[in-house]
Amino acid sequence: MKDFFKDNGIIILVIALLLTLITAVVSFTFGGIANPFANLAGVVATPFRNGIHSVVTWAEGLYSDAFRREEVEAELERYKQRVAELEEQARSGEAASRENERLRDLLGFQQKHTELQTEPATVTAHGSSNWSSTLTVSKGSRAGVEPGDCVIDQYGNLVGIIWEVGLNWSTLITVVDVDLEMGAMIARTDEAAIIEGDFSLMGQGKLKLTYLPQGEQLLAGDEILTSGLVSGGTATYPSGILVGHVEQVRTDAGGMNDYAVLSPATDLASLEQVFIIKEFEVVE
Amino acid sequence: MTTKDFAIKWLVYALALLPVWFLQSFVLSRFPLFGVKPMLLPLAAVAVATLEGAAGGAGFGLAVGLLFDAAVPGFPGVWILVLTGIGLGTGLLARYVLRQDLVGCFLCSVMALAIIDLLRILVRLLTGAAPLEAMLSLAGRESIWSLCFVPPVYLIFRWVFNRVPKATVL
Repeated sequence: MKDFFKDNGIIILVIALLLTLITAVVSFTFGGIANPFANLAGVVATPFRNGIHSVVTWAEGLYSDAFRREEVEAELERYKQRVAELEEQARSGEAASRENERLRDLLGFQQKHTELQTEPATVTAHGSSNWSSTLTVSKGSRAGVEPGDCVIDQYGNLVGIIWEVGLNWSTLITVVDVDLEMGAMIARTDEAAIIEGDFSLMGQGKLKLTYLPQGEQLLAGDEILTSGLVSGGTATYPSGILVGHVEQVRTDAGGMNDYAVLSPATDLASLEQVFIIKEFEVVE
Repeated sequence: MTTKDFAIKWLVYALALLPVWFLQSFVLSRFPLFGVKPMLLPLAAVAVATLEGAAGGAGFGLAVGLLFDAAVPGFPGVWILVLTGIGLGTGLLARYVLRQDLVGCFLCSVMALAIIDLLRILVRLLTGAAPLEAMLSLAGRESIWSLCFVPPVYLIFRWVFNRVPKATVL
């Protein structure tokens, strides 16, 4: 009987069961903190991930130089035009901003602003599962990163939320992941809604905006910002971070509710540098 | 087989796992095939179990399960048990029902991928997180693309198997 167990690996199966139980209990007890095995694997893999990431990025650069030169030049031209448009808008906005400041001073209002304490991090790996959309970044609990921290790109667009934290690495779920859900605001009208990942849209790199305000007429291109979900009187996420743009409005399968399909403002496929918002303060 | 032989043998298997892990975690995750990222780590567990039998398969499945659990978010710890079970089951099936060759490995890989995706679908059905049609479509595409990698993964481990001592002592 002993040999049967030994030969057929039943003992190993029992060990696996114990490891599973330990991992599950640790994961549920310390929600968001990586279990010991995942943490160890992450710590060991981090130098390799960083090295491989550098090589892959270098190879991508070579490929772009060799085969995408015309495309990149056209893109650069488009961005130059866009910068010129935005500079024009900024110039006209400056006058309004100064007037707003004067009026606030007259009324004794404090200037509204958001202070963010960020931690720069590098994207070292893309998630290898088709069932979720995740990224691994190069900072973890040692840098003060905590589960639930918001992550933005260099332009201030929302990338995702920290999901699991290891010693020198973290995993974040991106804005298109099915587990993401947060309060949002339509920038043009200041109306509130909810952004959430959708399984069918995740593969296309998109997400949806639900609980649309009654009678709200969304337009293609409308900007959607985070509203700063309130939990127990404390904002969970900073407000005013650009999430994405409305692509189209659809009706759900039941035919009762409308939702909007959003394309994220950040380019998840080519992200390299992100900023983890460790602390924030909103002064209204 | 001495303890040293035993250690060297499984070290070589672990080294053979590295390119598979590298391909899944760093190449295919960044450059998916037609939008799908194939699952290669379970194929490695199946390939070794086909060649080494139940005990070796379960042990290697456990190690791959730990790696898979760290690499894939969700279901904390569950993949350790699932892949150990897959290794054990594959070892028994390949030895007593199928054959310990590429065909046996392929059939066991089909079953392993089906078990993994079935588990994912069941959990998401229970939580109402996703429509069944979309999940079946994804599982189908994922399995087809993953199965394309069975021959190369099997050949890597077959190459190792031919060069290491055969009897597994635990």
